[in-house]
Amino acid sequence: MAPSSKRALPSKEATLFRELLTLYETRQLKKGVKTADQILKKFPEHGGEDPSRSAMARDLPTTHFRNPVYERPVPSAIRQARRRHWLVKKGMRFDLTSHICWHVFGLIQKDEKNYEEALKSYTQALRFDKENINILRDSAQLQTQLRIYDGLVETRHTLLRLRPSLRQHWIALAVAHHLNGNLSSAKKILEHYEYSLKNIPDYDVEHSETLLYHVRILEDLGEYAEGLSLLDINSKSRAIVDRTAIMEFRARLLSKLRDTDASNAWRALIDHNSDCYEYYRGYLASKDVDLDNPSDESRAQALAILQEFASQLPKAATPRRMALSFATGEQFSDLIQQYLRSGLTKGVPSLFADIKGLYTEPQKYKAIQEAAEAILQENTPPEGQCSHGEPTTYLWTLCFLAQHYSYVPRATPSQPLPSPDFERALALLSTAIAHTPTLPELYTLRARVLKRAGDPLGAAAAMNEARLLDGQDRFLNTKCAKYHLRAGMIDEAIQFFGMFTKKDAANPGADLEEMQSTLYLIEAGDAEYRLGKLHLALKRYVAVDKIFHEMEDDQYDFHGYSLRKFNLNIYLNLLAWEDRLRSHPAYVTAALQASRIFVKVHDDPSLITAASSSVRLSDAEKKARKKAKKAASKAHDDKKPATASTADDTVENTPAKDDDPDGVKLLGAADGLDRAAKLLQPLESLAASNIDAWLVIYDVAVRRKKYLQAIKALKHAQSLDSEHAELHTRLVDFKKRASAFPQVPPAPIGPLVTTSLATLLPEEVSLETYNSLYLQRHSGCAPAVLAAARVLHSLGSAIDEVDATLFTTLADDAQLDIVTASKILDFLKAIKSSRVEEYRLTCVSRFPLSTVFMTQSELSQKQKQTAEGTTALVEAEKLEVVP
Amino acid sequence: MNIRLARMDDLPGMQATNLQNLPENYLMKFWIYHAATWPQISFVAEDHKGRIVGYVLAKIDDESADKGEVHGHVNSISVLRSYRRLGLAKKLMLLSQEAMVDVYKASFVSLHVRKSNKAAIGLYRDSLGFEVVSVEQKYYGDGEDALNMRLTMKR
Ligand SMILES: CC(C)(COP(=O)(O)OP(=O)(O)OC[C@H]1O[C@@H](n2cnc3c(N)ncnc32)[C@H](O)[C@@H]1OP(=O)(O)O)[C@@H](O)C(=O)NCCC(=O)NCCS
Repeated sequence: MAPSSKRALPSKEATLFRELLTLYETRQLKKGVKTADQILKKFPEHGGEDPSRSAMARDLPTTHFRNPVYERPVPSAIRQARRRHWLVKKGMRFDLTSHICWHVFGLIQKDEKNYEEALKSYTQALRFDKENINILRDSAQLQTQLRIYDGLVETRHTLLRLRPSLRQHWIALAVAHHLNGNLSSAKKILEHYEYSLKNIPDYDVEHSETLLYHVRILEDLGEYAEGLSLLDINSKSRAIVDRTAIMEFRARLLSKLRDTDASNAWRALIDHNSDCYEYYRGYLASKDVDLDNPSDESRAQALAILQEFASQLPKAATPRRMALSFATGEQFSDLIQQYLRSGLTKGVPSLFADIKGLYTEPQKYKAIQEAAEAILQENTPPEGQCSHGEPTTYLWTLCFLAQHYSYVPRATPSQPLPSPDFERALALLSTAIAHTPTLPELYTLRARVLKRAGDPLGAAAAMNEARLLDGQDRFLNTKCAKYHLRAGMIDEAIQFFGMFTKKDAANPGADLEEMQSTLYLIEAGDAEYRLGKLHLALKRYVAVDKIFHEMEDDQYDFHGYSLRKFNLNIYLNLLAWEDRLRSHPAYVTAALQASRIFVKVHDDPSLITAASSSVRLSDAEKKARKKAKKAASKAHDDKKPATASTADDTVENTPAKDDDPDGVKLLGAADGLDRAAKLLQPLESLAASNIDAWLVIYDVAVRRKKYLQAIKALKHAQSLDSEHAELHTRLVDFKKRASAFPQVPPAPIGPLVTTSLATLLPEEVSLETYNSLYLQRHSGCAPAVLAAARVLHSLGSAIDEVDATLFTTLADDAQLDIVTASKILDFLKAIKSSRVEEYRLTCVSRFPLSTVFMTQSELSQKQKQTAEGTTALVEAEKLEVVP
Repeated sequence: MNIRLARMDDLPGMQATNLQNLPENYLMKFWIYHAATWPQISFVAEDHKGRIVGYVLAKIDDESADKGEVHGHVNSISVLRSYRRLGLAKKLMLLSQEAMVDVYKASFVSLHVRKSNKAAIGLYRDSLGFEVVSVEQKYYGDGEDALNMRLTMKR
């Protein structure tokens, strides 16, 4: 029995209170407030109601979705949070031994996403009322959210013991065992549950999902035969209603059992959806084709099978495309020719993207080129004439070849592919544009080629031309805005984004942020970063982190909801996905970039003052501009009706004011490095194969004097790529720092640092020698040369020696790309080399299409032209709309 | 292009595709809610690197189930521009429609489309056989009307 609190409510009100909690949980807020009032009337001093009443008095719909365009967080909720806290505290004073107070406190902490503290409050509440179903259920949700699975099993057990008649409690315990890694207990519970079930309605989706969950557990346990028979029995009786799921489980289980029926099962799936790769892979594997390391024999077998499918399923694209991956030599040439011909005749814009994956060896590259050139020849209209072959085939072939010639080979495969020929690609596109000036795709391709060739401004202008040809299409609009960000034209980009964002948003960026667009935030952050506006860049990257927090919070309601719905397989997938959430490229990029910024300002705090004065300046500018605009518009349209905005509107719909809109405070945060460490922490497990992550983890750790972490990061990086250029500079950096320790850190850290250092780089060699050996090994690789030059400089070498090293990257046989070249140029500027101009001019002639190496004034000039072009086009567009 | 059932880890890609293609956008929780509630009826198309290039997000409305009126509703469908006119949207729709009938016994499928969206109307009406039931005035945030379309399903 629960200890009876001196202030416990009489039973009628206690019932009302329980009702109140249910109402709160199910967000029936209006009813809830009424119930709270009822209790309050009788017990104005009771510890429980006041706070919960206030917790009720807000509206955050969680499971109810309407047209989401109108779905916004309600700002008044934030304002009320403080008041609620105060009320609860007051309630607690009345009644510290009341489970109700602790429960409500927990509820509020949970709503504020403070899950750890909420669980503590629930645990307190349970001390006074061990068997309270509501509290136990909430605790279970919190334990799941916090991944405390052994505790979860215990809680679910208690719930089942208290209410064994509730179906949901059985399922919940099975899931808890499953999450806790105990599949066989999960299985036992399910067996017991199914055995005791009575009166299952016909065609019950919930029961069907439960059975599929049971089959999955058997599959995970490796009990394939048992799983198959459970599946077969229940699909025959129609207890499992999801036919596709039945077929997929069957095919997988039969394959795992190496049953001869497996290929039939996959075949049935292929007939159901003939564009699913997994089904073909399953089929081929069931025919003993080793897909990862095919021998010549299995290649031939796979090809025969796929060609058979291709003829039986004329509408399916997949077997034809898959065949290309298995074919070699003559056969490849034949197949690719057919494939290209059909794609180019149909006019498939994505044809190149589709086959790009085949560019792994020079022979295939050559075969593709020959096939496409042949098709071009056949369809080229004779000079001055236009009817020869299909005009669209001609056009799409030009496009295809433009993409082919501008293809930039990934990394350096063992057999190198030809380097891109941007001029040729642009010439092909000009021909195409002259032929058909109205096809947006031609301009998007032009934009992409220019981007690759290092001309982000030209690329942005081309993308805008594409956009203007189909202004209704948000896809072209997004691309155009993105390309303007890449070109450093942020204001223009925002203007484009604004054509499709909500008009009542504070600004287009705010709307995109609210709608959780990581694409926008990363691109905008990168753009600000390139312009040196570190505060604004940081602001965007941190907003990405916030979105990932939101996505983690999103799962909370499903810990209850999904179990009630019996949608168990997908629920477990939800949890697994959430556990890996931060491996998403947007998070990885944001965390790394934000951390790099925190490191930069740590090394050079003057960046903070520079940022805050730049903000003050641009604020003043903005004000002046606003004033001028106001004056102008006043003169212009006095007659425009004022858009009526009620007082209510302004109070309710202005989001809580951001007290750091430009990120200057954030940039100057005293705990910047700690924040960086926190951002990076998930990457240690979720991006463990990403060397950049380890390098940044090192940068932060070493500055936080966490030397063991720093060593661990270097070791990881070394195991991934021991010769990596950026790792080279870090290794030297660490050795330098270690030898400059004012005193050796106390044991065990000090000795550990010393011994680990010896495994990271040789002890007996001086850093100078170490560096020159590195340079010798990689003299033809520009990033490595840059790394070695940085080290030279950090070791105090003379500038002309550093210069000379860097200039070797311009040798004819050295591989140099635009990105590295511009990094080298930046470094030359940073060390105040006298040969900056010489390097720049060589790059100008080396990369004739690129604008990256223009002088600041040339660049501003060109940017202005692009902007004017943009504005002119946009204005013209407006004129067209107005009749 | 690979076409398959949508999974949880597809949701960010679907959400990003939606944000690039359409002005009607939804918070992640909305996507999770649909996938977690009706896990059998939303589908995706992905490229060779596993990037989402198209999706259909659907739900079931069983509010009047007692009258035998369970029906499916297409919330959102889009395909990245460079992958359009390959038949992806049609294949996605057909798979979704089939699953709605198969798992939920849906008697019809409904959706809303902008009056001016020629490509989408072509897809629904000409390729899939949907019919216009009514026009909803100013349905969209910017004041455009929506066509309310419906396809009766054979069981
Ligand atoms: C509408 C949309 C999803 C169609 O995607 P898709 O993959 O290109 O469509 P499909 O290739 O499957 O086309 C199937 C049929 O739809 C019709 N269709 C598609 N695009 C069309 C267009 N631009 N004009 C006319 N009809 C079109 C045709 O009947 C086509 O059959 P066909 O190619 O045999 O002639 C795509 O254009 C899109 O994403 N648009 C932007 C987002 C959007 O508007 N979504 C709909 C919101 S309700």
